[in-house]
Amino acid sequence: MSDNYLEIQGLHVYYGNIHALHGIDLSVGKNEIVSIVGVNGAGKSTLMWAIAGVLPIAGGTLLFDGAPLPTSPHRIVALGISLVPERRRLFSTLTLRENLIMGAIRRTDREGIAADMERVFALYPVLKERMSQRAGTLSGGEQQMLAIARALMSRPSVLLLDEPSLGLAPLVTEALFDTILKIRDEGVTVVLVEQNAFQALEISDRGYVMQIGKMAESAPAAELLGNPLIRKTYLGG
Amino acid sequence: MFLQTLVTGLSMGGIYSLMAVGYSLIFSILSFSNFAHGAVIMLSAYIGLALATKAHLGFGLVVTGSVVGAGVLSVLNEKFAYAALRRRRAPSLYLMISAMGCSMFLENMVYATIGSRFYPFPAFFGRQIVTVGGSSLSLLDLFAFIVSIGAIVALHLFITRTKMGIAIRAGVDDMTMCSLMGVNTDRLISLVFFLAGAFAGIAGIFLGIRYFVYPTMGWVTNKAYIAAVIGGLGSLPGAMVGGLILGVLETLISTYVSSVLRDVFSFTVLVALLIYLPNGLMGAETEEKV
Repeated sequence: MSDNYLEIQGLHVYYGNIHALHGIDLSVGKNEIVSIVGVNGAGKSTLMWAIAGVLPIAGGTLLFDGAPLPTSPHRIVALGISLVPERRRLFSTLTLRENLIMGAIRRTDREGIAADMERVFALYPVLKERMSQRAGTLSGGEQQMLAIARALMSRPSVLLLDEPSLGLAPLVTEALFDTILKIRDEGVTVVLVEQNAFQALEISDRGYVMQIGKMAESAPAAELLGNPLIRKTYLGG
Repeated sequence: MFLQTLVTGLSMGGIYSLMAVGYSLIFSILSFSNFAHGAVIMLSAYIGLALATKAHLGFGLVVTGSVVGAGVLSVLNEKFAYAALRRRRAPSLYLMISAMGCSMFLENMVYATIGSRFYPFPAFFGRQIVTVGGSSLSLLDLFAFIVSIGAIVALHLFITRTKMGIAIRAGVDDMTMCSLMGVNTDRLISLVFFLAGAFAGIAGIFLGIRYFVYPTMGWVTNKAYIAAVIGGLGSLPGAMVGGLILGVLETLISTYVSSVLRDVFSFTVLVALLIYLPNGLMGAETEEKV
């Protein structure tokens, strides 16, 4: 299944003097859902920010579709890798509509943008009613939908989702995970970082377990879910 | 008499507004007070003066040349003095100190090359007068007021209605996320500096025509800073309203109380505002949800 669409080898990242990632390896196949689980502070978000080009890379190689990744965020987005960061980071003083326009800011195909807006409204119908509302006034669940919708507006081939279920009610989380499956069915590759490891692995093809700056384990998701040690350590029972 | 004073105040206020808008634009995107803004205004007046007296261009071309020139100077100012600090994520205090250095450098460059003479602009408007309801109003005052407000309204439309304007507001909100949307943030910041510089260019010309062109004329941006604080630093409508309020109040004080007290009054307003209303009249509101 894995044909190394996104391939990371020996990635080292520093936060000032702190050595945050110690030689991470990760490979994601085209149209897969890959989950990265692990305790708080393992470096999952750091990994996401490094792939998106926001954090400088101290060592290692990052390949996308066989070619090295550029180093600035705006070039990485242009290649089709889009990050939905932890805590959504919406443009809270902009309206919902303006947030979606920002998602498509690099594109010039007016009709395509309009069609994609309809597509994300089909995915998240509640957003359509809130078009001219400021993003900061939306509920937590709506904000998460908007954050994903905004990322989809760039027509990404890889979607990096960092803790999308953070702070959401269980029912909302379930609906959210359903839409992640739908997004994959439309041909998008998904890399998912989650505290909510159990649910994340259930929708994933493969999973990685991260431990203080290193990858501890990688296996098909079903195998990780069945491993008693992993269940005990990372999945809460 | 009152109408005349009011129009003079509004015209001065319009110029303050132009300068305050430039301040506010840069403050909102990089969170520091660009004290080199005054030097850009001063240089733009010299550019305008050269175009008018050496190249003998008409008013429209003088303004255009000065606006473009000041825009480019402002972008260069950012590239040379702030970009390196910005990339190292330096605290905004460092940017402010760099700005002060730039301001002194540019002023002294003008002293050393052009000299300290006060140059008058050619009389574009003469002493033409428009009579409205028995009061005689200066054409220059009316024109300065209309152009200032027109420019600010145009900027407001640009910022609220166009894609680039949305990107600027998004950058004000969260610069990192703006780059994750695919915006080249270096270019976005250059665009903001160009706009601020262009507004400095218009202000420089009107100041030069109203008074003289001289190396320390940029110090008047102290007033623009007060205007921006009155309106709320970082808010464009605030900068406009703050500039107009300050211009009118100052002119009223000079006319009806004493022109000596004008600056005392303005700085007292600044101190009072910083103590009692630090966000100004329309200061940026913040709203964040988990």
